[in-house]
Amino acid sequence: MPRMQTFPDLLKTLWQRVGSMSLAIILLVVLSIASVIGTVLLQNQAQADYLQQFGPLWYWVFRSLGLFDMYHTWWFISMLGFLMVSLTSCLWRNIPKMLKEMRTRKVPVSDKALKRFQHLHEWHLPAGVGVEALQEAFRQRLDGWEFKASEQGGNHYLRADKGRWNKWGYILVHAAILVILVGGWIGSEYGFRGNMAVPEGASENEIDFLQGTETGHLTMPFYVRCNSFTIDFFPTGAPKEFRSNLTIIDHGKEVLTSDIIVNEPLYYKGVRIYQASFGDGGSDVTLKLYHLDGTGAITTAKTQVYETWTDKKSGVSLTLTDFKPYNVENMADPGQPKDFKDLGPAVIYEMRGPGMNPVKIKAFMNPFIGPDGDNRGSFLMVSSTGDKADYKALSLGIDLTNPNEWRLFHAFMKHLGEAHKRTQDSARAAFQAAMYDVFGRDKAKWPKNFQAMAMRTLQAVRVLPSLQWPMLPMLVDYKQHYYTGLQLAQDPGMNIVWLGSAMLVFGLCIMFYMPHRKLWLVIRPAQGRMHISLAGMVNRNHLVFTKYFHDVFTKLDQDFGEIKS
Amino acid sequence: MTATTAEDGFTATLYRGRWVFLRFAAYLGAMAGIAAMAKFGVGAYEENAFLYQILSMKGLIWGGTGALAGCGLAIVGSVMKPTLPDAKMARNFAPWLDGFLLMVILASVWALFEPAADQISYENQSNLFSGRVIMAMNVIFIFSAVSYIAYLFAPESFIGRIATWSAYAGIYLGGSALLLRWHESYLFDMEIGHAPVSNLYEVFILLCCITAAVYLALEKRYQAKAMGAFVMTLVSAAVFFDVWLASVGQGDIKPLVPALQSYWMKIHVPMNFVGYGSFAVACGAGMAYLFRHRLEAKGGTSKMLKIFPSLDQLDQLAYKAVAIGFPAFTLATILGAAWAAEAWGGYWSWDPKETWALIVWMIYGAYLHARVSHGWHGKALAWWAVAGFLVTVFCFLGVNMYLSGLHSYGRLS
Ligand code: HEM
Repeated sequence: MPRMQTFPDLLKTLWQRVGSMSLAIILLVVLSIASVIGTVLLQNQAQADYLQQFGPLWYWVFRSLGLFDMYHTWWFISMLGFLMVSLTSCLWRNIPKMLKEMRTRKVPVSDKALKRFQHLHEWHLPAGVGVEALQEAFRQRLDGWEFKASEQGGNHYLRADKGRWNKWGYILVHAAILVILVGGWIGSEYGFRGNMAVPEGASENEIDFLQGTETGHLTMPFYVRCNSFTIDFFPTGAPKEFRSNLTIIDHGKEVLTSDIIVNEPLYYKGVRIYQASFGDGGSDVTLKLYHLDGTGAITTAKTQVYETWTDKKSGVSLTLTDFKPYNVENMADPGQPKDFKDLGPAVIYEMRGPGMNPVKIKAFMNPFIGPDGDNRGSFLMVSSTGDKADYKALSLGIDLTNPNEWRLFHAFMKHLGEAHKRTQDSARAAFQAAMYDVFGRDKAKWPKNFQAMAMRTLQAVRVLPSLQWPMLPMLVDYKQHYYTGLQLAQDPGMNIVWLGSAMLVFGLCIMFYMPHRKLWLVIRPAQGRMHISLAGMVNRNHLVFTKYFHDVFTKLDQDFGEIKS
Repeated sequence: MTATTAEDGFTATLYRGRWVFLRFAAYLGAMAGIAAMAKFGVGAYEENAFLYQILSMKGLIWGGTGALAGCGLAIVGSVMKPTLPDAKMARNFAPWLDGFLLMVILASVWALFEPAADQISYENQSNLFSGRVIMAMNVIFIFSAVSYIAYLFAPESFIGRIATWSAYAGIYLGGSALLLRWHESYLFDMEIGHAPVSNLYEVFILLCCITAAVYLALEKRYQAKAMGAFVMTLVSAAVFFDVWLASVGQGDIKPLVPALQSYWMKIHVPMNFVGYGSFAVACGAGMAYLFRHRLEAKGGTSKMLKIFPSLDQLDQLAYKAVAIGFPAFTLATILGAAWAAEAWGGYWSWDPKETWALIVWMIYGAYLHARVSHGWHGKALAWWAVAGFLVTVFCFLGVNMYLSGLHSYGRLS
């Protein structure tokens, strides 16, 4: 039957339970399991993606539990809070006890207590052996130990301690966790962390950050201007370094100009500014539009990335989504050694128009040059779904950077149309006629590589008329502007966290590597003999201590043997 | 070992009091000197030249000064406190640093076998000498595992010795191969050069070596040879995984993405693997415990039982391994947080890798508490050590394979 408890008693029991080690184990395991959820379920994605992934029911369940931003839900935070309460409780109860135990070292041990020691050895020496000599031998053998002697009822007790401050390890470790959690809380309460995208040449003073599932904004007390952004590449084509040249503008005054790279942030007025990402900051691009209506017309469009350009006449619109000056691709066949090649600048746009399916196109500025240096004509990457994975290369055949090839293609089409029958001969004749049209009758003035040109034109004849689009927009010129993606953060709790971390590591080292070892040399004269006991105790790491104890015993055995004789 | 046991000969002198102490101080000094060079030297730390910064005149001056200063401090210290040279720390750590020095020397020897400069190409790295050294390491680790297992069935001391020595050989081969790889990464192009702890293939070699080293340290002190069969089997599994990684083309030296170009990586990653390796050893001890428990339950008094450490000892060994791993892993996580604070703008982002590190940490934290508290006994704790390691494996492998996040450089592609 549980005893009746008064309310304060109940509180006291509860307080003890909260600080008990079993609860610590349970808390740690439960926190671990809870943490797993957040790593399996991608956090802070777009809500629409979740809805699609889980369906309405589970979406609603997960959302109500806050699983899409789990580490900030009330229940997760409460668990951390509970951990803090638990830690406080165990520290509160243990610290006074431990401090007292560390300070006062009781020297005499009763005979009964002596029997209960983990490690115990005895000698029986004849009376008359000097107690001092024995104790001195003991002291000599224990280098770096602290001694305390006492005499009681004719018995001589000598106690030796090593690692007497071991319990400080426990205190430091557990207090450290509290300190770290407090530091983290201060950081999340009074700090901020957000992103800012600054196009080259522009300034910005607002950061965006995720607040649960929404985006929040915060205005900085200064502006950041991005003067330039550059990327360095390894010879393999992989990016080596992202570098932004930034100027801080505080109250209209330029106060600081500096470069930042990944791993080397800038620090201003308590705010750290990190290089986080980059992207196109609205590059100027010029497109040539090759009309596919058979007229051979070419028009140009000057626009910018992120803009939509509309052709008034045909109603075709181009939405530019990105520009990349380098496009390094592995050109080797699968299984072959890798062969990285830069395909040159490319612009990505979505083309829409009356009577056509929208497509996403990555248009390269340069023709594709084969491994032998042969020109294989201009090309595009086309995705009909708009998905990146669906890009398929489309070789256009002719090299559109050479205006003659575009003309040649049209002349050839015209002459081919005039022929009555399509045969090898008529095609050859049509090609010759087309060459006459474009390059004149004097064959000496024809380009040397006209055979290759003929091959390309034949390919174009196969490809171009089958395209359903009113025009082919190709990249001809650009002026690139990047934006630099910066992360700005201020964390007033960070130093507290580092303090806690130092305490944690320091405390763990004390706790594990400086166990509190205690040895007693008890000398009891009785019945004309001397009963000598060596007793030992350790609070952890018994394996080592067992050996050590045995070692001390052997050595003392020698010493005592010498003293006796 | 007792201080009074008179051992003679050169090696004995080398490992006695003053000499160990002086050497240890010199090593520490040299490391501090190199660290100071990275922090304060002219040009400071450059990712793509760090090895040669260390090996150059500059490194010699900084490191040498550090070593001399260390020796000086050691001498002053031992004059002021004559018992100082007997410090256990020096005796415990100096052999490890000696071993490291030997690896450096070995790696320099291997470097002589490197193919001629015009034979080296980034596209085909198969002719690099480190590949051969790593293959030798693989073979010898597996050989060691087989020997340890053979030792269980035929407890002849010479088989045990072969097992131990081959494990040592594997560590030296692996360690020197990694150092050699560091040098090789500069051979393609100075810009590509970086420390060999940047991808899964390299850290698995590190893991094998550290696991074996932690195990051998325990074996040497506690005569726990029977445990080797379990630990080295785990190492062999890692070896097979690494062979597989190489076979799918993940073993190549690749340039470092900007986020990894930091000296933090050189401290954070190896420290993490000290943790992982120790947890692997704890798992080995746990398995040995369960194995022995099984044997005893069957009522056997077989030969095998005689060479096995007792259940209590195995329990202590698992604890000992966790006691090495837990502080190391704690420190590694903190170093990771410090790096994140410098590179990403926040020390903690609840990124899957970070979170799993926290999970591993909490699991072993709970293990440590369970040891002290009542109600948990040997067998349950042995299972915990094994299960804890499974969680650890997921942390360093599963997270890269199944979960995405900021640590995705270690991804299998
Ligand atoms: C939840 C609140 C916690 C309570 C109530 C608690 C309580 C305790 C107690 C009573 C001890 C035994 C001290 C001794 O052996 O003298 C202990 C040891 C220890 N605690 Fe905690 N603890 C808590 C949380 C933690 C946490 C979160 C960690 C970090 C993972 C931790 C790490 C340790 C370690 C490493 C030991 C030493 C175990 C050993 O080696 O014997 N504790 N704890």
